[in-house]
Parts: sequence; C-alpha cells; structure tokens
Amino acid sequence: MTIASFDQVEFGDELPSFTPDTGLENVRRFAKAAQMMAKRFTDHEGARKEGLPGAMVPGVMSQAILTAMIHRWAPEAALVKIDTIFRAPVMVDEAHEVNGVVTDLDEETKTAEIDLTITNGAGETRVLGTATVRLP
Amino acid sequence: MEIEELRKQFLKLNFDTAEFRVDGDDIVGFSVACGETASRYTDASDPDFQAPPTFPARFHGRRMLPSDLPLEGKIPLDAGKAVMPQKAIRAGTKLVGKSYLNEIYEKTGRSGRMIFLVSRMELFDEAEDLACIVDSRMVVRERPAE
Repeated sequence: MTIASFDQVEFGDELPSFTPDTGLENVRRFAKAAQMMAKRFTDHEGARKEGLPGAMVPGVMSQAILTAMIHRWAPEAALVKIDTIFRAPVMVDEAHEVNGVVTDLDEETKTAEIDLTITNGAGETRVLGTATVRLP
Repeated sequence: MEIEELRKQFLKLNFDTAEFRVDGDDIVGFSVACGETASRYTDASDPDFQAPPTFPARFHGRRMLPSDLPLEGKIPLDAGKAVMPQKAIRAGTKLVGKSYLNEIYEKTGRSGRMIFLVSRMELFDEAEDLACIVDSRMVVRERPAE
C-alpha cells in the first residue's frame, strides 16, 4: 500500500523494504550519471589495488536508494532533510536490504521522521540515517 | 589541533565557489540506478521532470576543505552526508555552489580523539535562490598519544 496523505501514517509504521540493484553494471550506470567513475566504485580489481575488498557502492548512491524507498512508500512525500552515516562499505555485487520505520509524527507541519538502514546479507548495518518528509 | 582556534579561523568563511550544470540524462541515469519509480525523476518528458532530492550531493567543488586547514598530514575520512532540498532543480539549470566549514567539533573515545569537520555547500540557481544545502561530514582521527 502506498501512502497518499499524512493522515494515513502511524507511529511505528514500517516502510516496505526493497532490495536495491547493487550489481556492478547498475553501479557503473550510477557512477556515470553522477560523474564518479573512480575504480573503487566501478571495477573490483581496481578497487582491490586500492586496498579495498572489492568495488563499493558510492555513499551518494546509498543515500539516494534510501530516498527512493521513501518515494515508493509515499510517492508525493517531499524530502525536508536526510542525514546518513556511512558506517561501513556497501559492497558491489552483494545483496543488501533497505528498511525504514516511522519514529515521529508532527501533525502541525505534517511531517514524519523515518529511521533508515541498509543492511547486508549477514544482517550488518552498513548505512544508517534519518529522514524528515512532508506529506500532503 | 585546538578546536577553538580552528573555529575562530575557519568557521563560516567561504573557501570554494564552483559552477555546475544539471543534465537531464544524468538525472534519469541517477534516478533509475537508485530505484526511483516516480516519472518526475525518471522520465524527461514528464511536465514535472526534476532532479531527485539528493541529486545535488553528487556535486563537488574544487576543494572539500580550506587549503590552509592544519590537518598535520592526516587524511579526513567520509563520515556522512546530509541533504536539505529547498526547491525543485530542473534539467538545464546552472547551479553555483559556495562552500564553507559550518561546524567543527570533537568526540573522545577509547581509541582517541576524533575531530569532525562539517563542510557545507549551498547551491544557488540562476535566480540566486537557495536550491539545496549539502553537508559533508568528515572525521580526522588522533591516537591517544597525540
């Protein structure tokens, strides 16, 4: 179910989780659009030469994936602020899950606060954040 | 590095100004790759076509920090990013990004002191309206002996 208005949101609501495409081809597509064609994002071998375990998803892409989850849940939500902490690398070609939960509601401003996470297959949180969104 | 001294010398002082052009193909590529499904972000023919709200986080000025910031050889690590959109950004818009250090603070833990530097870029459109604010949080670690 998608959210159309503030009245439909309740404290503790969980946003529908989704599995972002963190495959190498898609990350390259992002890197090209974001002009971030560094080898640590676009090439496993190049990333290993820089001392990384493999190519990693750019932090800017992780943040935008979290925002996309919000839009899938509430297509008309307007982002007021998103603050993300890159706790550990999101590795390219590994499965990740994106989750969110509503932690605060302000009826006066019709805004909701959402806690956000990206976790890997081992259940480790790689990115966490908070977003404030305004709803119709 | 003395925090108070750094604050006095560097807070709120512009250290970089850069121009950016918002390209429609880049908006679509960025949006689709991140899983956006709303046509206002993924379809250039949508009458409300615009950049997704965190798109401006991809812009970098010529410098991330003031050139004369005394980092003593330490490399700042990316600790996080905040985006505060102010108005819709359309394809073809020219943005001017002005950067300054907005916050300097420290935290001390078992592994030593960490100094956080928050570099803020304010992006203005051709009408000189503030279009977006992007905060990049960087951390410099010191070991206890330092």
